[in-house]
Amino acid sequence: MEFGNSGSLSEDGIHVDMDRLKKGEVNLGTSIMAVTFKDGVILGADSRTTTGAYIANRVTDKLTRVHDTIWCCRSGSAADTQAVADIVQYQLSLFAMTNGKPPTTQTAASIFQEICYSNKDRLSAGLIIAGWDERYGGQVYSIPLGGSLHKQSYAIGGSGSTYIYGFCDSNWKEGMEEADAVNFVKEALKEAIKWDGSSGGVIRMVVLTGKGADRHLYLPDTDYKVRHT
Amino acid sequence: MDHRPQAWGRPRDDVYGAYDGSYLQSGGPKTATQSPVVTGTSVVAIKYKDGVVIAADNLASYGSLARFTDVKRLRVFLGTSVVGFGGDVSDMQWLDRHLNELAIDESYDDEPSPSSLLSASPNKGHGKLNAANLHVYLQKLMYRRRNDFDPLWNQLLIAGLDAAGKPHLSSVDLRGTAFTSPSLATGFGAALAQPIMRRHAPTEEAAAALTREEAVGVVQECMKVLYYRDARSLDRYSIAVVTKEGVELKEDEQLERQSWAFAERIKGYGTQTV
Amino acid sequence: MTSIGTGYDLANSIFSPDGRNFQVEYAVKAVENGGTSIGIRCKDGVVLAVEKVITSKLLKQGANKRIATVDRHLGVVYSGMIPDGRHFIDRARDEARSWRDTFKNPIPTADLASRMGGYMQAYTLYQSVRPFGITAIVGGWDSELESGVDGEVGRGPSVGAGGKTPGKKYGGPFLYMIEPSGLYWGYYGAATGKGRQAAKAELEKLDLSADGESSLTLEEAVKEAARIIYVAHDDNKDKDFELEMSWISGADGPTKGFHQEVPKALREEAERLAKKSLEDEDEEEEKKEDDKMEE
Repeated sequence: MEFGNSGSLSEDGIHVDMDRLKKGEVNLGTSIMAVTFKDGVILGADSRTTTGAYIANRVTDKLTRVHDTIWCCRSGSAADTQAVADIVQYQLSLFAMTNGKPPTTQTAASIFQEICYSNKDRLSAGLIIAGWDERYGGQVYSIPLGGSLHKQSYAIGGSGSTYIYGFCDSNWKEGMEEADAVNFVKEALKEAIKWDGSSGGVIRMVVLTGKGADRHLYLPDTDYKVRHT
Repeated sequence: MDHRPQAWGRPRDDVYGAYDGSYLQSGGPKTATQSPVVTGTSVVAIKYKDGVVIAADNLASYGSLARFTDVKRLRVFLGTSVVGFGGDVSDMQWLDRHLNELAIDESYDDEPSPSSLLSASPNKGHGKLNAANLHVYLQKLMYRRRNDFDPLWNQLLIAGLDAAGKPHLSSVDLRGTAFTSPSLATGFGAALAQPIMRRHAPTEEAAAALTREEAVGVVQECMKVLYYRDARSLDRYSIAVVTKEGVELKEDEQLERQSWAFAERIKGYGTQTV
Repeated sequence: MTSIGTGYDLANSIFSPDGRNFQVEYAVKAVENGGTSIGIRCKDGVVLAVEKVITSKLLKQGANKRIATVDRHLGVVYSGMIPDGRHFIDRARDEARSWRDTFKNPIPTADLASRMGGYMQAYTLYQSVRPFGITAIVGGWDSELESGVDGEVGRGPSVGAGGKTPGKKYGGPFLYMIEPSGLYWGYYGAATGKGRQAAKAELEKLDLSADGESSLTLEEAVKEAARIIYVAHDDNKDKDFELEMSWISGADGPTKGFHQEVPKALREEAERLAKKSLEDEDEEEEKKEDDKMEE
């Protein structure tokens, strides 16, 4: 396996996602995020997948279900993150069956982390896990490249996230109403899409609450104003 | 016969031409060695009369990005020792879980501990592993992992008490190198904090003369200097005082008494005065 | 159960024509010879106690513990064949550890009971093994607090997570008893071993009823447990015994969610009360007899 050696993590720590890719691999250039709010969590992502400068898919769905109300945002290698998400989805459905109760977000985060940590030298996967469950409500966990696990009130990831650290830190409020939280995610992703060449296309969101999973879709040709579906 | 083992069993070069090794892997030796991704910076600690003071800031960096600002890098073991972690955060979490399991192993043995130093811990009467034992254990663990070419990318400080109830402070790094000293610091702290701490505790005797307040003061001073001069540091930090009464850990401290106002007097970079 | 196997008791893997597994029934006999073990689940914790029969004066007092810690929040006590019990505990510790390794969380008491029930049941199926000669009582406290992932760093929102279902309580005290057949149930109070009948009769008198609302406190339960072991010991009077007790409370109780030996002072106090209660009973009986004499 050959890795590029042009990336210099110690200098910018950002473009490392690109350099960790295997040759010719499809990259989720990506802007992803997940936020907690009053009734649960919201996941959001752009829809651009690139190989180099070519957009391999302009309507990608980077928000992946691993259990009814536990989802993840994927960044890094498309192949790696899909494989990991598939394994976790299987494990969680098994957990629900054998234990007779739905898994918590912690359970999902644990399984994700174990895979990412023990295969750290083979994977390029930056994941955000967000879930809602009856006991713990909405929770967000972030698993960056090395496979560490971070509990956060909101998380951003992917190459586009570097452009919105300031925006998010300034505009973040804890315990927002759903509409405000949706707006926060949308405005943040709009900025990321605007400045990051590897992010673009539509904005997808999933709202996870006691009522289940609710999908949102916003399109660039209507300036992300109108909610489709 | 060719006496070189490398040539044994190979077609003779003079008959068949030079050996074509092109099908063999060309990428050099296989490496399981990783490099750190999400990292914590310095840990500093100093011994005093009754125990040890140890501190680390709450930042986990991603390259130069200050990515996670609420990462607690001081971990309590059995309510009697503190391990401070510098380096890779995922390996820190692995070690933290490993130490948690070690602590559970200790609780299997219900014999009350002969030592009274565990009185303040919720594990009262359980843990017999003191900080000195823990240091030896971690040294062996780190050295083994480096021999597997799969090191845990951390530098650790272990603070607590030894079997005699005397303050114990030691370090282990990712190669399994171990030290003890009246004061210790990892990462940037080794260059910036150690000289300050050595001024106050050059010897074991000098450290044993320090009061708790003095030791805390020295550590706070070190954290301040590190915040001034370490570009991967943060002004929120955790600090723990370990004594025979147990561990007092504060995890969300703010650096105080910083000095910046003198910037007003600095104009230009040489001759300029306005 | 006095029937004889008539050839159907030679191996696990053979049923008798009337649908019994004699090996399992014999294993129950081994349990019935062992020192009494009990468990009490009350509103703020669980108490485990055992009548540790002293087999030799050469054994050190207080050594060779019979109640074991399986994980921080889990304890096990058993009656029957001690080596079988030790193996049971080894396995329970492995199960608790493997749960922690996969889910990075403490194993819930119910899941440990389920896994150990399954393990014991497997020893009733095969020609090559015999059933466990023990009945085990598993006590645990599942944290009522919000627990994260072992080793996690960082915090969620300072205002707490949103969207929780309000008013619901989680965690609490749990008590299970697992028999040689692998059968297990959850109990308010459980007893096994030689004195189980007397112990069960005493347990049934306690107010352990409705979920978490029992009026018995943990400390009272410790004293009741001591008394019940002393009552149960009456059937076994010719042998010396030591009382061994452990307890588990919630995070705001005396053990902070950990399974621990009952402190010496409290145990001795409980023993004193237990002995006194037995003496009082004897006196009462004597009195009654005295009354009769006078008549």
